[in-house]
Amino acid sequence: MELTNRMNSWISTLGVHIATSAKNGYPRIIVTDTVEVKGEHIIVPLTDAQFEFIKGNIAENPQVAVAPGQIGSIRAPYQFKGNASLSPNKLEILVNEIYCTKPGYEAGIRLDTIGFDAMAEFDESRWTDLAPVNK
Amino acid sequence: MGILTDEIKGFIKVIGKGGAVVHLTTVSKDGKPNIVAERFVATYKEDYIIIADMFAQKTKVNLNENPVGSISVAYPVSEHPWVFSGPATIISHASPTDFKWYDVSAGELLDEWGDWAAKEPPDEVPPDIAPPKLAQRGLIIVKVENIYSFDAEKAGQKVEGGRA
Repeated sequence: MELTNRMNSWISTLGVHIATSAKNGYPRIIVTDTVEVKGEHIIVPLTDAQFEFIKGNIAENPQVAVAPGQIGSIRAPYQFKGNASLSPNKLEILVNEIYCTKPGYEAGIRLDTIGFDAMAEFDESRWTDLAPVNK
Repeated sequence: MGILTDEIKGFIKVIGKGGAVVHLTTVSKDGKPNIVAERFVATYKEDYIIIADMFAQKTKVNLNENPVGSISVAYPVSEHPWVFSGPATIISHASPTDFKWYDVSAGELLDEWGDWAAKEPPDEVPPDIAPPKLAQRGLIIVKVENIYSFDAEKAGQKVEGGRA
């Protein structure tokens, strides 16, 4: 599922927290300051340390969950889930589920199932800050 | 002395009082992670981090089948690139007061933190992102057994005394 402009803008500018998991269900988290969004892919540049830290998890379990970093954690309350593929300098995530995580009655609503246009409309009807004001 | 230093305890507290926003990660039994931001967060005793259970859904399902949690600092990050992990559970308002989890008593914990909004009102939250109504159902608690760095150059390195 393609990300909306607002989603793209927030995570491209402020980065993301990426949750990976071993097959036994024990998570490892990495955090990046920026990402590149291409359609339904989130592409994350990795340092050697980040690559080494998650390579075992991704090899045995490609499922990942992604959340906006920094102040985006509360101003851009989304969660992206998908499958990741790893190369030495980047992690590429194909997003197949998108959730609203805004606290309240809409917490946990799945957005990718309503279609891109409805998801963009959902965004525009709830937030006016289409991009981070400052980093 | 527990695993949480005074520096960490001073940092992990209610955001309106200079504290942090964190992400809580849990994982389903079949290995699918779930990560959500939490702003009602505090330390408890020497080894625990607690989070108000206000709107948790998948988090609760995951913890019921795989009682492990990781908490990563989301905001503000500068100088605090920490991830806290360990066993985790939910202590709900329906728990018997004498229920014990490690050395935590449900009754004592809920007496202190069972009504978070009254104890620490979220007055600083801007109206466009504030939930219309807070309904706390209990507490999510992580017994911190491991702290590691998410600094890009030190990812996964053990943190001791607040430093990787």
